[in-house]
Amino acid sequence: MSPVGPLLTATVFLPAVGALVILAFARSDRSVRTWALAVALVDLVLSLLVFSMFDRSDGAARFQFVEQFSWFSVDTFKASYLLGVDGLSAPLVALTGLLGICAILASWHVDVRVREHYIWLLVLQTSVMGVFTSLDLLLFFLFWELELVPMYMLISIWGAGRKEYSAMKFLIFTLLGSAFMLVAIVAVFLTPEIGTFNMIELSQAGTMLSGGVLIPLASLFWMFFIAFAIKLPTWPVHTWLPDAHTDAPTAASVMLAGVLLKMGGYGLLRINVGMFPDQAEQYAWVLVALGVISVLYGAVVTIRQTDLKRLIAYSSVSHMGLVMLGIGSIGITQGTLTSAGLNGAAMQLFTHGTITGLLFLATGLIYDKAHTRYIPDLGGVAGRMPIVATAFLIAGLASLGLPGLSGFVSEVLVFLGAFRAYPWPTALAVLGIVLAAGYILWMMERAFFGRPRERFADLTDANLVEAAPLVLLVITIVGIGVYPALLTEVFEIGLEPMIRVLNGGG
Amino acid sequence: MTWAWLIPVLSFAAAPLIVVAGRFLPGKGSFLAILAIAAGFGLFWLTLSGFLEANTSTEGCARIVSAETGKESGPLTCQYEKTWFYAGLPGLEDSVELTWGILIDPVTVVMLGLVTFVALMVQVYSLGYMRGDPKFGWYYAVHALFAASMLTLVLADNFLLLYVSWELVGACSYLLIGFWHERPAAREAAKKAFVVTRIGDVGMLVGILLLWREVGSFEMSAAFEAVRNGAIGEGTATAAALLLFLGAMGKSAQFPFHVWLPDAMEGPTPVSALIHAATMVVAGVYLVARAYPIFEASGSALLVVAIIGLLTALMSSTIALVSTDLKRILAYSTISHLGLMMLSLGAFGYTAAVFHLLAHGFAKALLFLGAGSVLHSTEEQDVRNMGGLRRVMPLTTIVFSIGALSLGGIPILSGFWSKDEILLAVSQHRNVVFLILTLVTAFLSALYMARAMFVPFFGQLPAKLEHVHDAPPSMAVPMALLAVLAVGFGFLAFNWPGEYVGFGGFVFDAKPHGFEFLVWLGAISIVLAVVAFAIGYVLYIRGAYRSERERAGKSGLVKMVESKYYIDEVYQWTIDRLVLIFANFIGLFDRAVVNDLAVNGPANTVRHVGIALRVHITGHVYSYALGMVAGTLVVAVIWWIVAG
Repeated sequence: MSPVGPLLTATVFLPAVGALVILAFARSDRSVRTWALAVALVDLVLSLLVFSMFDRSDGAARFQFVEQFSWFSVDTFKASYLLGVDGLSAPLVALTGLLGICAILASWHVDVRVREHYIWLLVLQTSVMGVFTSLDLLLFFLFWELELVPMYMLISIWGAGRKEYSAMKFLIFTLLGSAFMLVAIVAVFLTPEIGTFNMIELSQAGTMLSGGVLIPLASLFWMFFIAFAIKLPTWPVHTWLPDAHTDAPTAASVMLAGVLLKMGGYGLLRINVGMFPDQAEQYAWVLVALGVISVLYGAVVTIRQTDLKRLIAYSSVSHMGLVMLGIGSIGITQGTLTSAGLNGAAMQLFTHGTITGLLFLATGLIYDKAHTRYIPDLGGVAGRMPIVATAFLIAGLASLGLPGLSGFVSEVLVFLGAFRAYPWPTALAVLGIVLAAGYILWMMERAFFGRPRERFADLTDANLVEAAPLVLLVITIVGIGVYPALLTEVFEIGLEPMIRVLNGGG
Repeated sequence: MTWAWLIPVLSFAAAPLIVVAGRFLPGKGSFLAILAIAAGFGLFWLTLSGFLEANTSTEGCARIVSAETGKESGPLTCQYEKTWFYAGLPGLEDSVELTWGILIDPVTVVMLGLVTFVALMVQVYSLGYMRGDPKFGWYYAVHALFAASMLTLVLADNFLLLYVSWELVGACSYLLIGFWHERPAAREAAKKAFVVTRIGDVGMLVGILLLWREVGSFEMSAAFEAVRNGAIGEGTATAAALLLFLGAMGKSAQFPFHVWLPDAMEGPTPVSALIHAATMVVAGVYLVARAYPIFEASGSALLVVAIIGLLTALMSSTIALVSTDLKRILAYSTISHLGLMMLSLGAFGYTAAVFHLLAHGFAKALLFLGAGSVLHSTEEQDVRNMGGLRRVMPLTTIVFSIGALSLGGIPILSGFWSKDEILLAVSQHRNVVFLILTLVTAFLSALYMARAMFVPFFGQLPAKLEHVHDAPPSMAVPMALLAVLAVGFGFLAFNWPGEYVGFGGFVFDAKPHGFEFLVWLGAISIVLAVVAFAIGYVLYIRGAYRSERERAGKSGLVKMVESKYYIDEVYQWTIDRLVLIFANFIGLFDRAVVNDLAVNGPANTVRHVGIALRVHITGHVYSYALGMVAGTLVVAVIWWIVAG
């Protein structure tokens, strides 16, 4: 138990409780919005508390704010309600809080089934928070699955275009991965020597999963891997992402790109690297190969996209490839692994969350006002919407890795780490930054710059509610870009035990 | 000198201030940018005097100490750093420490002088030139950021910080070239500048990663030390040097990455002056000069630098000869001179390159500001429509001529001395083919300068230009100051009596490489320059119009040069035919194969199997009974066959 009471439980379940309150008491759309905003605001404060109160001193516990209650036990097997954060998950909790409030604000103009929309958003936030904080495999899996429902609803009800198809595609893809993960979890369950779902114990040095597992450890590794690779997503299981993004409403896109994808990267780090260090090191080259392919393939496909949202979605495939590449940096280092690659991967999770969140927010605003996302139809928007265009420009420059903005830090760390182990593949992946410059600047040029068009004469810039999340994210992007130690030091604390295990230490 | 970091920081601070508060301030906050850079210029003098007084006992300062002899050599180098962030826990052995650090050595000091002075001149000049522009404040904010980034670049003591500022310089040039983004050409040019230079940046980044992998640190001094003591072999040094050079080729517009620079004139003219003289393009030359120990360790890398430099210089000086746009002529002239600097570096002429960088910087800033003054009042860029401007713009004519004569290599002006030093380096370290081609380039560069000077300013004044006026004071003063330097800067090269040992002595410090002058080489270069200007006079003043108009499209060779050797077309073809078609193909592959076949395929199969099976689920008892009977019969038959 933490010194401030059940902080994590409060952070995780406050949105869900808020959703119940809205269901029961909120009468008008207006009060629904106010309630949702208030809940998200309090949750943001709570998540920032988790982040800032996380004890960074030497000798502090690895997992903090731990809350544990026995849930059920079968024979010797105990499942428990176990929450806690370490240096890896604390920043991601903060990220979820941050994007949560952005999503709420981005939904301000929704006028169809308002109450449901906000309820699903809040439930979504609870489930993602749950994934990042639960330290019991079963609980982790429950939250992982819970997240599907609200996202499915958000896309299929408030989406556009082929929304049912996209929502179903998203659902089936993720469920396919979950099926593999469930098998792996059952295998853990059926192995008496392990006898625990406790992820703290499972990820301790020397791997708890060493002896007498029902099926080979490598296959467990791959089953978890498939689940997380789909979520990330990596090539070639990425095709759900462009569809889901394109058809999702703005708030859902923000959450999807901002935090849902990050669950995949988090799972890879926490479970694949944390619990199967030997296998992770052995198969790191697969991760590197997939990473490099995703980076380049995603970037090449992005160049030809004409829909703003689809373009950002494909660029996400490219950028998530960097996460793979960073994690792949643990290969062939022979006990001399530095944390650069893993830290870069973790940083990329956070920075991509804020950058892409901002891109989707700005795109949403443009779509609401100009009623098109088709790039050739836009053009000259910057003249009418300077705030939105500036935010978009900053996010775009961050996305192409401009120093001083957050994207650069994670990119460079990933390259540093990966280059030590795999110089040639990494050099190939660096080419991605040229392609990124190409597609981002081409998009800026065609959609934003130029003489404002006649029919955009009455476009209005972002108002206060719309600008607030933009400003929030711009501050985060610039802040991390200028002073990355804010995050790198915390991630480092979380990654350091893993690296010690990987380097063969105790 | 520990506070030299203030020089860029002041300008860095000015930029956001202008963006946020500029609209409430007089002059939209432009004075903030000017004050910041003026303070930077003042601090440059303090740094210079501090550096001249410093010795190895000064805090942070040292010379290279040879391991064997224990002797000190090389220039005095002062280094001060602060931690930025760690990739790894602070204190852990294997963690990567990323620092903000500044390194002050003679090259840094002279670059600080060049950048702060030219940026200050350009910003003052812009007060007049950009007056009334709706985005006046934004212009100054980006200007401040631009100068700050470039100053960080020359101060950086580690490769990562250098890369950071390198990219920021690129981004600022993107914003300034595309400043008038309503014009399609400006948008195109801005994007082109950023993307083309970024191709080089990939090489540079990989080079930095390679050095980090080998050395375990981003610090330049550590890398140089590793090269010196042999921790890095020649193969690796060659690879690292060539990769870094890729970055330098992009920024310094070397063939084949030069295509962005002529288009970059779409930005406001003072921006061109800044880009061509003090920031952006000189960054590449600076990078090679800064990382020179790595290049020196590899003879083949230096040879590549020399060849690329010579090729660039030769190619662009021919294009400059036939361009009709005043700013484009100047742009190709810049490329040509950057090529000469690279050639000089590749011919062990380190001092000469840095010297020419400065001499060219002052003259080119002057020429661009002069051209800006012409464009400002005539609103005309095509030299074929100009002539006789000396009657209406006397001051501009004088300063422009000084710049042109200086770059053309007319004696006692600064360009003559620096060009001569380059010729000297080439004649001493490269073979005679290099020397002849360099002399050809020198001749051509004098010729196109003569053309740029004679055609617009001398000869007949067209009637419609009779109303034009000369530059207002805010534009005239910076031009006059730059003109003084374009004339007199070269005298720094001499071995003056007393302590001062000339420019080479300052840059090389401990191994005095004083000013040298070969009479025969100097004579050739003087003759070439004078002849070129004489030919220019004959060609362009006697019938400037006729020769300009009749030449167009005469011979195949001229046509090829006029089409800039079709290099832009090759790029366009590569992008259209290779990159975009490849992207289309991959995009199609993604939809058709990965999505439709691999994803929707199984989904559709499942659906069809379901539909097919559904036919048999009729819900009628008799059809099920029939199935049972049929099944029983089949089982019975099999049983009978197997068992019987």
